[in-house]
Amino acid sequence: MEQSVLEQFENLCTQEALPACQSHCPLQVDGRALASLTAEGKIDEARKNLERNMPLAAISGRVCEGPCREHCLRTALDSGVNIPLLELCIVQEGRPVKPFPLPGTNKTIAVVGSGLSGLVAAYGLAMKGHKPVILTMGRPGGKLWDLSRRLMPAEVIEDGLQTLKNIKVEFLDVKTFDRADLDELTRERGGVFLAPDDPLFDFSWLPPESLVADRVTRSSNLNEKIFLGPDRHEKTFLEAVSAGKKAALSLDRLFQGVNPATAREKEMTGPTRLRVDLGGREPIKEMEPKEPTAPDKDEAKAEAARCLRCACLACLPPCPLLRGRKGYPKKYAREFYNNIITAFGIRHSNRHINSCTECGLCAQLCPNGANLGQFVAKAKIEMVKTSHMPVSAHEFALEDQVFSNSDEAAFIRLQPGSTTSAALFFPGCQLSGASPEGVLDLYRHLMAHLPGGVGLWAGCCGAPGRWSGRRRLTDKTVATMAEVWKKSGSPTVILACPSCARFFEAELPDIPILGLWPVLEKLALPERAVPLAEPLVVHDPCAARLDMESQTSLRRLMEKLGQALLEPPMSGRKTLCCGYGGLVSEAVPEMGRQFVQERLSGCQEPILAWCSVCRDRFRAEGRGALHPIDLLFPQAPPQAVMTEEPPGISAKREGRRFFKIKALTDIFGEAVEETKTMGLNVDVPGSVLRDMESRRILMTDVMAVLENAAKNGPSFINQETGRRLANLRPRQVTYWVEYDERQDGSILVHRAWCHRMETPGAPGERKESPASEEGFARTGGRV
Amino acid sequence: MAHAFSKAGPEGWSCGKCGRKLEPVSVNVEYMGSSFFVELPGCPDCGSILIDSELAEGKMLEVEKLLEDK
Ligand code: SF4
Ligand code: SF4
Ligand code: SF4
Repeated sequence: MEQSVLEQFENLCTQEALPACQSHCPLQVDGRALASLTAEGKIDEARKNLERNMPLAAISGRVCEGPCREHCLRTALDSGVNIPLLELCIVQEGRPVKPFPLPGTNKTIAVVGSGLSGLVAAYGLAMKGHKPVILTMGRPGGKLWDLSRRLMPAEVIEDGLQTLKNIKVEFLDVKTFDRADLDELTRERGGVFLAPDDPLFDFSWLPPESLVADRVTRSSNLNEKIFLGPDRHEKTFLEAVSAGKKAALSLDRLFQGVNPATAREKEMTGPTRLRVDLGGREPIKEMEPKEPTAPDKDEAKAEAARCLRCACLACLPPCPLLRGRKGYPKKYAREFYNNIITAFGIRHSNRHINSCTECGLCAQLCPNGANLGQFVAKAKIEMVKTSHMPVSAHEFALEDQVFSNSDEAAFIRLQPGSTTSAALFFPGCQLSGASPEGVLDLYRHLMAHLPGGVGLWAGCCGAPGRWSGRRRLTDKTVATMAEVWKKSGSPTVILACPSCARFFEAELPDIPILGLWPVLEKLALPERAVPLAEPLVVHDPCAARLDMESQTSLRRLMEKLGQALLEPPMSGRKTLCCGYGGLVSEAVPEMGRQFVQERLSGCQEPILAWCSVCRDRFRAEGRGALHPIDLLFPQAPPQAVMTEEPPGISAKREGRRFFKIKALTDIFGEAVEETKTMGLNVDVPGSVLRDMESRRILMTDVMAVLENAAKNGPSFINQETGRRLANLRPRQVTYWVEYDERQDGSILVHRAWCHRMETPGAPGERKESPASEEGFARTGGRV
Repeated sequence: MAHAFSKAGPEGWSCGKCGRKLEPVSVNVEYMGSSFFVELPGCPDCGSILIDSELAEGKMLEVEKLLEDK
């Protein structure tokens, strides 16, 4: 995966953008962190944090005018958080941080003027190990001495000057300073900083434009070695601090041979890209300390509590993957990327990558449209390409796809009696497997009402291959489908399944498609259609979140039927995934359940889901659920069907076989050959079958083991209980079946299990064909 | 790793072909290109190995997943 793919995504998720207070602070003081720490009573830590960005914090923290306040997001509610008040408390109450300058260099710098900008510049330079000399006229400190002693006690200034001396800043008292002095310093010193905020120095002999600095680097037009403090428009103390800080950094870069102007964007103040939802926040009155120059800890705490801790959480709450761990999409994308490029060791994020349903909800909630699902799709392709996709993760779904497209289940026919078809109905493998009779009735309805003839096309679109990152398999599937479609006269394809629709849109853009609901809406209601007496919560499948046409048609169709509908809290564009998307329920079943639970927790009523997988997943959780065809083409009273146990994986495969046989014989009048089996009489109790389903063991797998045992004898016999145990490894999985042979020759299955490891030496464990490059070997078409 | 799978054979089973009672047998197990020896209940004559559900869905599954993430 190209790093640019990651960078593109990183650029979309603005979760790490600075809060407004910080983006508007010329020192980049992190108001959000100060507020958090202060609110928690961690004043010492707050001081540490402050000193990281604010030089000479003991002094600067007393004079900051708080330019951030007018930009604070609280201004929309009441007034900006009083960060200067917090700073005041932090520098008065918090333990000072002892400065540790870097090892010394031989660079000497003349700092001309001992106002705040000069002191700060000297501080910054000394911390980098350079040797600043501050030129002063009499007592250093400039305008700091003009402040009230309450706010700025003399000992605070004295302490600040002592701090500078401690880190080897020298002071040189001068009587005058003129052009010749400047020229001499420029010649002899590594650099010069002019600090016009010291009123005792007069720079009027310089042309006024020469005293206007570059906003970022503080460089001047006098000489590349001369940097400037605040100009006459920069009157605040914070501007002086900022100028000194920036100039010190520029000089340090100059000494290192680096252009002072590069990569300084972060120091520019301006609006932030961070988006914050203010919904539900109440106004809180600003704290007014008893003594404005010395707020106590409790007063600071109260003010700090007003901070909203600005952060973007827009996409996190409804997604179990995003909210489940401490992070956000940008962080996850980086983690996933590192997981992919890692050369050694365990790939810990495989599981998390395979936990994204690619449902695209995050993109709908994100102010920038960041779609982690799209990133995950690319990550999966890369994992498959480099053979790092865990083989078992999507294996069953891929086999199901291959089965659905094998001769056992797939077919395509034009409408009986016609030589062309205006349309082809593609019900999709899931719906035709789960509700074969209903789909056949639906097809009959389409044939009866659509002009021009409708063919029937049974198979799997290929969504599982796409979801699992198998690009090669997908390309092959797509090529076959395109060919089949062309041979049928390139008709419009009517799609019942929203996941098929997305697949066709993305992979087969030349094929014109129509959603089933817009088509049905225009036809007469089917004769046997019945509404349910109670209202149903309509669940839009996540694959159809942007398919407004189908969403509307389905609702209108239900209205026509007289079926009352309720809207869940998240619906339409913001609908939730049932957990099958991205094959999450296959790869990480626990995660799949969290998704389905998230959907169910928002409503109590039975659900109308227009994707059969969603319907069946809701039912598996015990919630009544129907597909629209259960109402439009009922095979049994919907009220009863609604709460039935959903068809499992074996039943759905059987359903697809049945669908083909039934369609060919009943509708197309063809003779179908019966498949031959050994005719074993096998009994699998419901609880055993459910167990098998959760392990993705099919009835056909169990039958293969038993037929093999019938020919070759069981592998083991239990002398105490008389039970038998048989095993077979038809492909990359070994299946075990524990059973009893009854008197009448029938078989009662007690348990079945499987594993993927093999014991190559042992008999019966024959080594099968190696895995295909795509990582899964077995094909469908077996009994 | 050899220890990870070792366990006494499940009660009462004997080989379907040879009729012998199962004993711990040292076998090579393989997955995802890794292989190692473990002791598992098996037939002392023909070497048929019994992997019960507890092992298959417990320790063995754990190791399978680990090897798949490697
Ligand atoms: S609410 Fe807090 S984090 Fe947000 S801008 Fe204001 S001070 Fe900064
Ligand atoms: S909504 Fe999510 S993806 Fe978008 S910026 Fe916020 S945290 Fe990042
Ligand atoms: S599961 Fe859906 S909402 Fe969550 S990260 Fe993936 S695409 Fe986004």
